[in-house]
Amino acid sequence: MDCHSSDTEVLDAVPSKDLTVCLVGMPNAGKTTLMNALTGGNFHTANYPGVTVSLMRGKTKADLGPVVNIVDLPGVHSSIAPSPEEELACSVIEGRNSRVKPEAFVLVVDATQLERHLKFAGFVAHQKKPIVVALTMVDLVARNHKTLDVAKLEKALGVPVIPVDARTGKGARELLSALQQASARPLQSNTLAVLPTDSTAAFDAVRALLQKNGIVPRADVRPEIDPLTRKIDHYALHKVWGFPIFLVALISLFGAIFWAAKPFMDAIDSAFGGLGNLFIRVFGESMVVRFLANGIIAGVGSVAVFFPQIMILFFLMTLLEDSGYLARGAALVDRPLAALGLHGRSFVPMLSGFACAIPAVFAARAIPSRRERLLTIWIIPLMSCSARLPVYALLLAAVLPAAAWKQGLSLAAIYICSLLVGSLMAGVASRFVYKYKSPSMLAMELPVYRIPRWKPILRMTWARGSSYLKRAGRPIVTVSAILWLISNFGTTPQSFVAPTPMDHSFAAQLGQKIEPALHPMGVDWRVGVGLISAFAAREVFVSSMAIVFHVNGDEATRQDGLLEQMRTATFLGTTQRIFTPASIVGLIVFFFFSLQCFATVAVVRKETGSWKIAGLQLAFYTGLGYVLAVSSVQLLRALGVA
Amino acid sequence: MLLRLSHVPMNRWFRIAKLDGPKEDCNRLLDLGFTPGEEVLVTHTAPLGDPLVIHVRGALLALRKREAAWIWVQ
Repeated sequence: MDCHSSDTEVLDAVPSKDLTVCLVGMPNAGKTTLMNALTGGNFHTANYPGVTVSLMRGKTKADLGPVVNIVDLPGVHSSIAPSPEEELACSVIEGRNSRVKPEAFVLVVDATQLERHLKFAGFVAHQKKPIVVALTMVDLVARNHKTLDVAKLEKALGVPVIPVDARTGKGARELLSALQQASARPLQSNTLAVLPTDSTAAFDAVRALLQKNGIVPRADVRPEIDPLTRKIDHYALHKVWGFPIFLVALISLFGAIFWAAKPFMDAIDSAFGGLGNLFIRVFGESMVVRFLANGIIAGVGSVAVFFPQIMILFFLMTLLEDSGYLARGAALVDRPLAALGLHGRSFVPMLSGFACAIPAVFAARAIPSRRERLLTIWIIPLMSCSARLPVYALLLAAVLPAAAWKQGLSLAAIYICSLLVGSLMAGVASRFVYKYKSPSMLAMELPVYRIPRWKPILRMTWARGSSYLKRAGRPIVTVSAILWLISNFGTTPQSFVAPTPMDHSFAAQLGQKIEPALHPMGVDWRVGVGLISAFAAREVFVSSMAIVFHVNGDEATRQDGLLEQMRTATFLGTTQRIFTPASIVGLIVFFFFSLQCFATVAVVRKETGSWKIAGLQLAFYTGLGYVLAVSSVQLLRALGVA
Repeated sequence: MLLRLSHVPMNRWFRIAKLDGPKEDCNRLLDLGFTPGEEVLVTHTAPLGDPLVIHVRGALLALRKREAAWIWVQ
């Protein structure tokens, strides 16, 4: 695989006088946590197009001594690299990569699994570059009343060994100074460099080395499982209690995403609304001011409004991951998901998809095999994201007035259906489209349970959250600006200050052009304008409906005004009502399936490295939504529902 | 007597005799620590019967039954 042919925009490989160091190690060794501790969370993710692989780059904190460039490589099991991540990591380690040239390595080693983690050391040492071993999870050794003689280990390996505690940042300074020293003096031979690279031989050699130096018992003592982990797993993987515990965890997660985020979301929403109005009041009415206020500020607002929800989602996911429970959840649901052609870890992106498809697509990175990752990304748009919520709320209120419990029940049904339809889609796609000869392996490590480490979790949450803002922000704001322009300008501009009214805008013309396609859905061009504008973000449907149906008033009264308008709206020039139960069901069906979110399309393109899947997804789901919406409207009419 | 790791009783130690399955997947199992001669223990079965949780070289790994069946133990 060629990782470095087309990546023009990604890694800013600026030649630097500072030392460049790569963190290498097995998955779950604690590399990312160490990265956080060394850089203070100040790193960015650089993507490799073509493969869903990313490297994290950053500079060490100033208070830790001379600045070092740190690159966090993907976790590697061995030097025979089957996955794109491992291939990339190996190419960097072997110096074959044109963008990252490591001058020294930090080998990250889990102190509780020396044998497994040191097996890989031979491969790194063969590169003849300075190596420092960072020993993680040292607190777990102490928890089980064991000791590890670091001096002995250092002597046995022949390279500096520095215990680090990511929670407190202890050891970070020592690690960096050991690195500086190791790279300043000429390379010394070490025991690691003579370790074999073949896995069976490497395991044997590492064990022999550790036993010879008295670091692990010489006799055939069977390794113990961490007793706390054993105790918790007894319940977490229990035949009867396993699933109820998992369900409680999921429900709490959902509760937090929807209820705890609500006040923040409302506050941000009204803050941006107020900011837009204030902007107009201060700078006066002009086209540019209106564009900035209603196009740009409102666009930024529509990204920001989901920020609390996404931060809570990232925080809780990182918390579950750090505590060790997430891998158990993945193991619990692996069997049904594997039947659908997915992976146990697919449950995290699917769950995230109920908040927003964009973080869900990012979360799919944790799925090791490309096929399963693409299949997961393929069904994410079907998960009922929270941008659909205001749309469903409006439509359900219109079709079921004065029956709040029926609205709630219908909404719950829509959510459950989205999970079922998504599963069905995955099952169908895995059998007929993404066919495979044999399923990929699960082989997933279940880390030991530990008390969550708040500082790294918060740093990680922030890193993930700000990456969302950067990635999703630009497409959403761009689309929002374009849609504002086409809804406010037309072929006959009336005046400079007050742009073309909506009815004569380009958007309206576009709506009228597609009207023949909208009639079978039972709606007219004005709803079409709402549907087009919803491509900026689905919830924009509600506000553009308010504009095309000439509803005025502030936030609080607008929904009622819009509902009133919808109740009486007729096709222009006739007395035939637009919003009948049949046409509203049709709209709900359309929103259920259609991929009305250009930001998702942009992020899928970036994550999959091509327009193929992103474009196919857009065309397929939007087409499917349209066909099913038309069918359900026509069917309902045939059954006598107006 | 050789048994498949997918069909051994829980919480008893077994010694790996050989791996027999697709080459690439077996290499991955070797990398994970399932090398012939090593002792392993099935600690849990997920509530739906699959995957299995296996203790090898101080680590816990979830393997699908299909994958565990490639590991022959005695």
